[in-house]
Amino acid sequence: MEILKCNKVRKVYGSGGNQVVALDGIDLSVGKGEFVAILGASGSGKSTLLHILGSVDKPTSGQVIIDGTDLSKLNQTHAAIFRRRKVGLVYQFYNLIPTLTVKKNILIPLALDKKKPDKEYFDKIVSSLGISDKLEALPNQLSGGQQQRVAIARSLIYSPALLLADEPTGNLDQKNSKEVIDMLKLSNRSFEQTILLITHDEKIAMEAERIITVEDGRIISDERRR
Amino acid sequence: MWKDYSSSYIKNNSSSGLSVMIATFISAMLLSLLCGLFYNAWKYEVERIELDEGGWHSRIIGELSTDDIETIKDFENVKDAEINKNGYKGTEPTADIYFSDKKAVFSDTRHIAEQLNIPQDKIIYNYELLAMYLIRDPGDTAPRLLFPLFILITLAASVSLIVIIHNSFAVSMNARVHQFGIFSSIGATPKQIRTCLLQEAAILCTGPLLAGILLGIAGSAVLLRLTNVLLGSDASGRHSAAFGYHPLVLILTLFVTVLTILISAWLPARRLSKLTPLEAIKNTDGSQLKRRKKSRLLSLLFGVEGELAGNALKAQRKALRTASLSFVFSFLTFAVMQCVFSLSWISTRQTYFERYQDAWDIMITVKDTGADDFEETAMIQRLDDVESAIVYQKAVAKRIITDEEISEDMKSLGGFAQASVNHVTKVDGGFLVNAPIVILDDNSFLAYCEQIGIAPRLDGAVILNQIRDVTNPDFRHPVFMPYIKVPDADENMVSVLRQSGNEEAAAEIPVLSYTQEVPVLREEYAKIDYYELVHFIPASLWKEIKGQIGNAEADSCICIRSRENVTLDELNALQDKIALLIDGYTIEQENRIQEYETNNTQIHGMMALFGGFCILLAIIGIGNVFSNTFGFVRQRRREFARFMSIGLTPKELGKMFSIEAVVIAGKPILISIPIVIVVIGYMLRMSYMDVGEFMTEAPFVPIFLFMSAILGSVALAYYLAWRNIRKINLAEVLRDDTMI
Repeated sequence: MEILKCNKVRKVYGSGGNQVVALDGIDLSVGKGEFVAILGASGSGKSTLLHILGSVDKPTSGQVIIDGTDLSKLNQTHAAIFRRRKVGLVYQFYNLIPTLTVKKNILIPLALDKKKPDKEYFDKIVSSLGISDKLEALPNQLSGGQQQRVAIARSLIYSPALLLADEPTGNLDQKNSKEVIDMLKLSNRSFEQTILLITHDEKIAMEAERIITVEDGRIISDERRR
Repeated sequence: MWKDYSSSYIKNNSSSGLSVMIATFISAMLLSLLCGLFYNAWKYEVERIELDEGGWHSRIIGELSTDDIETIKDFENVKDAEINKNGYKGTEPTADIYFSDKKAVFSDTRHIAEQLNIPQDKIIYNYELLAMYLIRDPGDTAPRLLFPLFILITLAASVSLIVIIHNSFAVSMNARVHQFGIFSSIGATPKQIRTCLLQEAAILCTGPLLAGILLGIAGSAVLLRLTNVLLGSDASGRHSAAFGYHPLVLILTLFVTVLTILISAWLPARRLSKLTPLEAIKNTDGSQLKRRKKSRLLSLLFGVEGELAGNALKAQRKALRTASLSFVFSFLTFAVMQCVFSLSWISTRQTYFERYQDAWDIMITVKDTGADDFEETAMIQRLDDVESAIVYQKAVAKRIITDEEISEDMKSLGGFAQASVNHVTKVDGGFLVNAPIVILDDNSFLAYCEQIGIAPRLDGAVILNQIRDVTNPDFRHPVFMPYIKVPDADENMVSVLRQSGNEEAAAEIPVLSYTQEVPVLREEYAKIDYYELVHFIPASLWKEIKGQIGNAEADSCICIRSRENVTLDELNALQDKIALLIDGYTIEQENRIQEYETNNTQIHGMMALFGGFCILLAIIGIGNVFSNTFGFVRQRRREFARFMSIGLTPKELGKMFSIEAVVIAGKPILISIPIVIVVIGYMLRMSYMDVGEFMTEAPFVPIFLFMSAILGSVALAYYLAWRNIRKINLAEVLRDDTMI
C-alpha cells in the first residue's frame, strides 16, 4: 500500500540570478511499513525534501500525496492539523519544549486535538523507548540520547502515517546513535511504522531497508537492501 | 497542556512577564485617568451651564398663564415646567421646561407650542446643555467640541500606547519563537498559538489592568482636587469641581483599556502565529543583522567592543524604538517645559510683579459704582496702614488730533500711516483717536498734580503725552516719544473729548499739563491701541461732563498701597478692615502678595503636572529598556557565549554592555539638546529676552537631574541584565539546544 507519493517535486529558492534549485523533479513512492533512508551530502536537498514531506514547507511545483492527502492543497491551519495527525517529525536538535515535562512533551500532539491518550499505547511506546522512569523529568535533565527518545515517542504518539527523521543521530555519540536507530527500527517493526530517515552518514543509512541517494536535488539511486 | 506551558513560562520568566504587567498597568492607569478626567470635565461643564444658563431644556418666550404651565406639565415626557420672570435676555418672561427623555425635547416642545397656539419662533432650546447629552439639532450650528476632542485624545492615547506597549508583549513572545516553531512543527495551528499567547496576556494583564484602572480613578480625583487648588475654585467664572464617577465611565474605561491591551498583545501574537514552522525553528537568534552595517564612531572610540555593541544595538533597533522615542519625547518635553516655565516666570515677574510692585498692594473692584459716587474714599485714605488709596474709574471717549498737533518725532515715523482703521479714523481736519479717560478721586488727582509738578487744580485734565515707537516690536524695551506738540505756555490749552459712537456730542475741558508721568496705578496704557491719548481727570470734573461723554465702565477700582515690607497677614487684615468700611458695596478684592503666591503655586502646579507627564513618558521608556534587557538575557546568553568562546573576557563583555547602555540613554539626550536650544532660542527671540538674563535662571538642575535619572535607570537595567548573563556556564550554554 502506497503511503507517500511525490510527482516531479521541484523547489527553487530565491529569484533571478540568485536562484538555487534545491529539488529538481523528485519522483518517489514509499509503501506502508517501509524504512527508507534518504542519503545525501550537505546541500544535496535532502532536508528540503523532508520539510516538504513534513508539510512545513511547500514545493515550488509538483505534487506530494501522503496517505491520500495532497499537501499542496493545504492551507496553514490544515497543514498544521495534518502534521499533528499524519506526520511525526524527529529533528537532529530534539526540539522539545524545555518548560514541559517529558510526559507532556510526548502528549502535545494529542493535547492539541484535546484527545486523551490511549494509556496502553502510551505505556508501550515509553517502555519500548526506555523512558518510562523519566516521564516527570524536564528535557534539560536528560541526556541527548534520552531527549531524542522523547522526541521519537512524541512523533509516534498519534500513530502517524509517516515518521520523518532528520539526522536524528547527528547530535549524538556512537552509543546513543545506535540506540536511537534501534528504537526507530523497533518502532518500524513493532508498530509497522513507515519511516523516512534523512542522513548524510552512509553507515546509518545502511540500517534502513531501502536507500535513496540524493545529489544536487535529484534522486540518483534507489536501492532496496532486502 | 497550554495551561501548563503558559503557567510554567510565566513562572520561569518573571522579568519578561513583569515588563508586560508594568506596561499594562501604565496603560490602564493613563486611559482610566483620561476617562475619569473627561467624565469630570463633562460633569463640570453641565454644572457650569446649569449655573450660567439654568438646567432647562427648552423655553417658550412670552407671558404664560398658570393654566398653560399646568397643560405643559400634563405632557407625559415633561418632568417639570416653571415660569421664569426674566428668562429671556433678562427682560422677557419665559416658561422653562424640563423633560424626562431629553431626546424628545425638540419634537415635544414643538408639540407643546402647537397645543398652546404659540408660534414656533418663540421656542428656544438650551443647545449647549443638550449637546452635553449628545442631543443635537440642525438649528444648533455652534461647534460642540468636548466629545470629538475626547474621542480624538482617547484615540491618540490608545494608538500611542499600542505603539509603546506592544513591544513589551513582542519581547516576551519573540523570546519563544523557536518553541512555537516546535509546537507548529508538531501540529499546533496558528489559531492555537495565537490563543495561547492571548490567554497568557490575559493572565498577566488582569491584575495590573484592574489596579491601573483603580489608580487612574484615584488619580483623576486627585487631579481634580489639584485643579481646584491651582486654578482657584472661587475665581470669577469658575465653580468648585466636585469629583464624580459613573458606572458607565467604568464600562467605557474597561472597554477602551481592554481593547488597547488586546490590540497590543494581538499584533505580535498574530505575527508570531503566522510564521511557518520552518521560519520559527530556524530563528536561532532574535538579534541578527539583516545586512552588514558599520558603527564607525563606536568602533573608533571603543574598538572591537564598540563595534560589537553598535551591531547589537542596530540588531535590536526595532525592539528599542519605543524606548528611544519615549526618551526623546520625555526629555524634550521636560527640558522645553522647564525652560518655557522659567522664561514665562521671568517675564511675568519683570512685566508684572516687579513693574507694579510699588504700584499696589490691594486692589478692590467696587461693583456698579462710579468714582464720583463713591463716598468712602477719604475714610480709606485715613486708615493707619494705608499709604495711599486711589479710587478711579475708566471711561472711553474719542478725540480728534489735527495734523498740526502731531509731534515732530511722531511725524518722522510716518504719523498715523501705520495705524489700524480699527483704532484711528481719518476725519476732516485730522484723525479721530481713542481717548481713554481715567477718572481719579479728587484728592488723588490733586496729589497727582503735585507729583508731576503742576499747581493742583480740579478743573482740567492731565494728558499722557507719549507714544511708542511703532516700528520697534520689542515690547520688553519699548521706546517712547511725545505724541502731540505741547502748546506754548501762553496758549489756551484745551482738549475736546467726544462721545464714542456719537462724536457730535462733545465736551471741551482745560488741559492742565501734558506729561509722560502716570499716576501710580496698576494700569497699562496704549497696550493694544498704540495711538490712544490717555486723559487723567478728577472725579468732580467727570461729574460735569459725563452727560456728554458717557461710556464709563460700570465698576470703580481702589488701588491701595500699604507701607513697605508689609506681610500677607497684614494685607489680609487690611482687606478685612476695608471690606467692613465699605460694607454696603459689592466688591472683589485681591492683594499683591497673595497673587504672587497664587501665581507661584499655579506655575509649580503646572510644572508638577507636565513634569509628571514627562516622568510617565520616561517610565514607559525605562520600562521598555528593562523589558528588552531582561527579554534578551536568554538570547544574549548564547550570543555572549559565542563571544567568550572566541576569547572575549567578561570584562570586555561588560564594556560592550556599558557602551550599549550609554548609547541607549545618551542618544536621545544628544538628539534632544540641539532641538531644545533651537526652540528656546526662538522663544527668547520672540519674547525679546536677553540670553544672559535667561541663562542666570535657566533650569539646569532639574534638567540635569531628569537626564541623570534616565541614564541611571538604563544603567541599572543593563547592570541587572549583565549580572544575570555573566554567570553563564560557557559549555552549558553552547550545548543547550533549547537556546536555538
